[in-house]
Amino acid sequence: MYKIYIRILCTRFSYIPKLLLMMKLIAVILLASLMQVSAASFGQLVTLKERRVTLERVFKEIRKQSGFDVLVSTERIKSSTIVEANFSNATIDDVMQKILNGRDLTYSIEDKTILIKAKPKTVLDKVIDYFSGVRIIGKVRDKSGAPLPGVVVKEKGTNNAATTNERGEYQINASENATLVFSFLGYKTAEVELKGKTTLEVTLEEDAKQLNEVNVVSTGYQQLDRKLFTGSATKVKAEDAQRNGVPDISRMLEGQVAGVSVQNVSGTFGAAPKIRIRGATSISGDNKPLWVVDGIILEDVVNISNEALSTGDANTLIGSSVAGLNPDDIESFNILKDAAATAMYGARAMNGVIVVTTKKGRQTQGAPRISYTGNFTTYLKPNYSQFDILNSADQMSVLLELENKGYFQHTSASRGANGGPFYKMYNALYDYDEATDTYALKNDGASRTKFLERYANANTDWFDVLFKNSLLQEHSLSITSGTEKFQTYASTSYLHDSGQTLGNSVDRFTGNFRANFKLSEKFSGEILANGSVRDQRAPGTLTRNSDPVYGTFSRDFDINPYSYALNTSRALTAYDQNGNLEYFNRNYAPFNIINELENNYLTLGQIDFKVQGGVKYKIIPSLTYSVDGAYRYAKTDRQHYILENSNMAGAFRAASDATIIGSNPFLYTNPDDLTALPTVILPEGGFYNVTYDNLKNYYFRQNLEFDKTFSVDHRLNVFGSMEVRYIDRQTANFDGVGYQYSNGGIVNANYNYFKKAQESGAPYYGMSYGADRFSSFALRAAYSYKDKYSINATTRYDGSNLMGKSTTARWLPTWNVSGAWNIDQESFWPKNDVFSSARVRATYGLVANLGNANNSIATFYNQVSRRPYENEKETVTYISSLANSELTWEKLKELNIGTDLTFFKDRINMTVDVYQRNIFDLIGSINTSGIGGQYTKTANYGKMRAKGIEFTLAGNAITGGDFKWRTQFNFALNKNEITELEVNPNIFSLVDDNGGALVGHAQAGLYSIQFDRLDHNYGYPYYIDENGVRNTYVNLQSTKIENLKYEGPIDPTFTGGFYNQFRYKSFSFSALFTFAAGNYIRLSPTFSATYPDIYSMSKSMLNRWIQPGDETRTTVPALLDPFTASQVIVNADGSTVSATYPYNLYNFSSERVAKGDFIRFKQISFGYDLPKSLMTKLGLANATVSLIGNNLALLYSDKKLNGQDPEFFGNGGVALPIPRQYTLSLKVGF
Amino acid sequence: MKNNYKKIVLAGLSFMILGQSCNKYLDKAPDNRTEINSVEKVAQLVATAYPTADYLTFTEAASDNAEDKGNGVGSIDDVTTRPYFWQDVIGSGTSSATAYWNGCYEGIAAANQALEAINTQSFGNEVLPYKGEALVARAYAHFMLVTLYSKAYVIGGTNDSPGIPYVTEPETEVIKQYQRGTVASTYDKIEKDLTEGLALLSASAYKVPKYHFTPAAAHAFASRFYLFKGDWQKVIEHANAVSSNFATEIRLTNSALFNLSTDEFNQAFTRSDQKFNLLLANQYAAYQRQSSPRYGYGEKLVAMFGVSGNITGKSYANKILSYGVPNYTTYKYREYFFVTNQISNIGLPYMMSPLITTDETLMNRAEAYVKLGQYANALADVNTMLSVTVRSYTATDAATLAKVATYYKTTDAAQGLISLILDVKKAQFLQEGIRWLDILRNRITVRHNVFDAQGVETFIELTPDDNRRVFQIPEEALLSGVPLNPR
Repeated sequence: MYKIYIRILCTRFSYIPKLLLMMKLIAVILLASLMQVSAASFGQLVTLKERRVTLERVFKEIRKQSGFDVLVSTERIKSSTIVEANFSNATIDDVMQKILNGRDLTYSIEDKTILIKAKPKTVLDKVIDYFSGVRIIGKVRDKSGAPLPGVVVKEKGTNNAATTNERGEYQINASENATLVFSFLGYKTAEVELKGKTTLEVTLEEDAKQLNEVNVVSTGYQQLDRKLFTGSATKVKAEDAQRNGVPDISRMLEGQVAGVSVQNVSGTFGAAPKIRIRGATSISGDNKPLWVVDGIILEDVVNISNEALSTGDANTLIGSSVAGLNPDDIESFNILKDAAATAMYGARAMNGVIVVTTKKGRQTQGAPRISYTGNFTTYLKPNYSQFDILNSADQMSVLLELENKGYFQHTSASRGANGGPFYKMYNALYDYDEATDTYALKNDGASRTKFLERYANANTDWFDVLFKNSLLQEHSLSITSGTEKFQTYASTSYLHDSGQTLGNSVDRFTGNFRANFKLSEKFSGEILANGSVRDQRAPGTLTRNSDPVYGTFSRDFDINPYSYALNTSRALTAYDQNGNLEYFNRNYAPFNIINELENNYLTLGQIDFKVQGGVKYKIIPSLTYSVDGAYRYAKTDRQHYILENSNMAGAFRAASDATIIGSNPFLYTNPDDLTALPTVILPEGGFYNVTYDNLKNYYFRQNLEFDKTFSVDHRLNVFGSMEVRYIDRQTANFDGVGYQYSNGGIVNANYNYFKKAQESGAPYYGMSYGADRFSSFALRAAYSYKDKYSINATTRYDGSNLMGKSTTARWLPTWNVSGAWNIDQESFWPKNDVFSSARVRATYGLVANLGNANNSIATFYNQVSRRPYENEKETVTYISSLANSELTWEKLKELNIGTDLTFFKDRINMTVDVYQRNIFDLIGSINTSGIGGQYTKTANYGKMRAKGIEFTLAGNAITGGDFKWRTQFNFALNKNEITELEVNPNIFSLVDDNGGALVGHAQAGLYSIQFDRLDHNYGYPYYIDENGVRNTYVNLQSTKIENLKYEGPIDPTFTGGFYNQFRYKSFSFSALFTFAAGNYIRLSPTFSATYPDIYSMSKSMLNRWIQPGDETRTTVPALLDPFTASQVIVNADGSTVSATYPYNLYNFSSERVAKGDFIRFKQISFGYDLPKSLMTKLGLANATVSLIGNNLALLYSDKKLNGQDPEFFGNGGVALPIPRQYTLSLKVGF
Repeated sequence: MKNNYKKIVLAGLSFMILGQSCNKYLDKAPDNRTEINSVEKVAQLVATAYPTADYLTFTEAASDNAEDKGNGVGSIDDVTTRPYFWQDVIGSGTSSATAYWNGCYEGIAAANQALEAINTQSFGNEVLPYKGEALVARAYAHFMLVTLYSKAYVIGGTNDSPGIPYVTEPETEVIKQYQRGTVASTYDKIEKDLTEGLALLSASAYKVPKYHFTPAAAHAFASRFYLFKGDWQKVIEHANAVSSNFATEIRLTNSALFNLSTDEFNQAFTRSDQKFNLLLANQYAAYQRQSSPRYGYGEKLVAMFGVSGNITGKSYANKILSYGVPNYTTYKYREYFFVTNQISNIGLPYMMSPLITTDETLMNRAEAYVKLGQYANALADVNTMLSVTVRSYTATDAATLAKVATYYKTTDAAQGLISLILDVKKAQFLQEGIRWLDILRNRITVRHNVFDAQGVETFIELTPDDNRRVFQIPEEALLSGVPLNPR
């Protein structure tokens, strides 16, 4: 019943376009007759007397004599047609009448051009045609013999056409000797001459290439005919973006797509790069694009905020779920950029969408096709020549100056928390050996100098000590096989990375299976399963802390090898004279980096599994119902191993004398017995701390798609969809204290550890859930007329639970309209080989994103009251956020105008997009009066405007023959500006490395405290303070920000890439360059009031202020003696300021800023296809060997960076810069 | 037609069901949040209806309990330096006036959310003690706000200067407009909440009573409130309701406390098992870390604990510690370091602030007795205090009207007694912040010394009608239409 009903409905609809057509015909006739009148009045005269001339000749003559051009827009007359010319002073009208007489053609004149075209048929003509022609009937099938519905059957050279019904049958009236053209999307067009036949059975061949590569845009929801797609999207084929040796697929997009910037804030495996599509859209929320894999949104296991990406915290390693995908399984990427392209993602679309399509099985007549790829990569160690770091001799001279000024004195240096050579020296002076009655070091000048000399001459190369040239190998094996009705693709891969440094390594396994089936013409479907297992090791790390008072960031026990190499004095040594590990002092305990990397590390284990299925049922040929569902389950654990020999465990045990007991913060003071000395709470063993992050994700969607071509020229596609997403996240952590690694894993924890944990409010384990529920309804309609004009409209209604229980705030409608005009389809378009096609597009629409506020009603959480004694604690409930009845989603309205042009027979494509975005209802922190009870609220408070241009020129410049050249050049300009912000940011939030938000400037701008000059007498720095006064002290909490200097945005405004691939016979060569500009970077914060003898210093330290007068030649502040540091520095109001303030401020000053512009030589690749003759001998189908270099060189960057990577300003932890690497790649097909 | 109609109804119905089930599907809480849907939850929520920040840092520094110790002495920090010069502290940092303003309103918001839950849901009589607690806590926070951020209440005056916004319902919009009202109207509302709440309180409603408004704590607060309002009889009535035997329930500075080690001593001041602590609050504070500010308790002030510092001619038994002369501290507060990460040992500093003590209540009563002319009663209360604070106190050390007249060189007994009470309080409540309340109530001029860079000492004064006696409201209050205090 249901089916019949639908069919009736459809036939009824089809009347409407026919009516429209008739009306349009009348209009054309009217127009044509008007034209004729105007032509007649023109009256240019032509004289030409010649028998049997070609039309071409006639037209040339007309142009010569009258200046009129003639254009022919029909195939019924050719320029080689012979006519009799006998005109003497004939009007153009006469000439044309004569030429066209009896040819069923008409002409019009417009702007000195005579356009010849087919005479529109009157209704009467049509009726006559109907009876005069021959009725042809037949059936169209595909190769398997199944009937093909919806095939357009057209009489060649006419507008006469019909469509096959659901049984593949058609009937058409055509002239006896006509040629019929059968065309159907995804199939090769067939032309058959009638030659008098009245029945014609046709078999169409599939054209996989046409279907997949040219005419289809995958939105993740639909495989949409490009003609119907009117948004801005860029497709990247995986084979064109290959980055052999780079196992993370997100990096394949580097430099490939205009408007997509990929910043490698960390090169550690699994750490997500900072990807921006058309720049940032949110001030406080996510700016990362949505990843969609095979139609299903890929959720991240943990949500990493904008800033956290570059902190190097351990959870950044699981911040990117795409790390579980095997690059070899990827077929293509589709980057959806504007509002029309992302419309189907409605309220999650603001940051753009990356649709990943994985490989499918192919039709191989059942034969298995096996393919193997192996990549063997080796790393290059960084070296000191790239960086500006003092060598050990210069470092020691600085330290000696500090010693002369009163630092590194015996009492402080020998009992300090951290210590290098001086610490060792002082302790050696008191190291008494009873047997020989001597001290390890004699306390005289000569002995002391000799002792320090060893370190002055050490010049340790920490990069050499900590980095490795080790091997990264990737093996990937895939099998595909298929018949007409069933295709499979199965693959597995193994990645082993021995690591760039002593502390890193990764193993990853992936498995992927996909099967597509077709039970009948009506019923088809697919199932997919893929999974990955990851086993990774990274240096042990804790979360980064920030201190807004002094303006510092710190991370306890940081042992990141890269930052260690950069920050550790070269006067320290890794090994002593005897070749044993040499320990210095850190956190009151012995420390050696090699020992620490072995004894303090993280392992990350992840199992990620997804099953997915979908079926499609064609209710009638033009109406398809489909259902897709997916289930994903990911378990992640991070195990932090802190062995008993580590410095970290040692710090918990450092209690060798009263001074240390008094100052070591890791000891425990028992509140029940305050007279007792602080005690050690980790007497034995180390820690085994585990953090779990788990994800459970269901996805379900049903769609109804109506796709039909009416009367040949009218194509309508309506797509309705309803979806539900269900995500449960769980995170748990556990402190395993007192684990004895060297004693077979027995646990002997001291109860005081738990007592302290309980008393201080830090429970030794915890667990929490997060639930994300989402449902939405969407409707999209696309219509195209004659392939010339397409319009598209989408509306979507999304709901989410994340904003809280209010039923109004949680729903949001989004919409957009867009259109495209294929100019080359117009009759006036001169078909030519140079400028092959042109299309213009326009979009206007609204998309949105959930901000990071969830308080549509007041939110309450429970807490154990923060009180010290057990008998005083109770469970309390606190207000986390007051209700915000005005809460809504972050929204973006976009206007995009784009054009796609092709040149030289479609060989070169040029795409240009210009857009303007108004982003509003931005969510962020806003300081309120506090009277409601919440001083800082998170609310919709800002507006932003962004505009940009994207340009891509790409194509196969040279094809055919032995030499081939493919090139791609793209760039994008994106500028954003905050236009409204109800907020008073303070100085500290603005001078942050990650940028701050201020009206009139970029979404995240870098602001500096203005450096003024150095003090004449002491060499300490002065700034312009918040009141505009020269001062040593700037109140970072102040909201007076007029005197800050705006440096520029922290995200590049100009990005792009340039790629070239050359092939000559079996050889290929390619190179990729990427570039970015327009952003500013805060240099690493290396200045402080005092310098321990363990940290490195920049060479600029050599240029420091040394004596009065130096302030005219240098801006590098002096090393202060302790008295000056504590007594002399004066505030503008006359009071004394601790040196900590001005010296920390220096790190945030205008002196410590560099430009982020760079040009990078990203990749070079040489490939060689092994000869066929050899292949057959080996039984292989094909084999390619390539040599690839990745991240070869930074061709240009700001000199102030002193060689530091402008994309990498990670602050220790697990972050590492992207390595320079060389890869040997082998691809074999069986 | 009929068929179509049926279809529309069917489609409409199914859409409604879909919409309904969708809303139900989306009702799932996104995280571990809770709802106020039981008496227990109301009680837990009211437990956070107390100011979450401290006032000690700025009220002490602004008061005459601070002095400039000289160039290069002690540490310099905005939160102590600026109040010493009666300047506004910029920002909302820990221990700033803005932090306390925010902290009070945070407590008020919790009270209001609880009261709203009580009003909209039916919890029965079981909830009444918590309703009482919410009302009294709301009154307390507003009282502290009007005291610090508005002009001092003038007994018998019009008190029509701006008060502070009195909030009685949860805020549900981002920026809401508020009225300051007058000091008088604010006092009226405080009294209404206090009276209504006090009647509902129950001493047995709490698991940890000292962190809640027990009837005793509420009466003690009422004695402070009526002392400001000049309702002397009520001060005495409420004080009497707090304790019938103050002598054993106030701080035994010269005996029990004297015998404690320093650590145990500062533990005692912030612990609930001490009878003298009537109300404690866990406040986010760094005052306990201000061990030796340049503008703080120094050499000149320490004299008041010596033999010539008080009327008895004997020294006080208070523990005075020194980080090297002239950096003195009473060291009354023990920090509670709430650890957020035990391995890296990072966390947040808290102080269990004693908001209301029996000692203060006793002295409130003494002051009220003076005002009512009951000098003997007043002397008795003062002597109760002296007996537990003066070292080797004997009955002969007791203050008498004659001694007061001599010591304070005045024939006006009331004036002399008030001076005596204020002096005793100044010493006993040193570094507790409430000296500022006495300065406001008794219109005392504050005099601060200042050493310039050359070490030359000058003096600055804060007279009773100086605008700077009123701490500044956060600048952001302007967004809510609340005018700032004049400067």
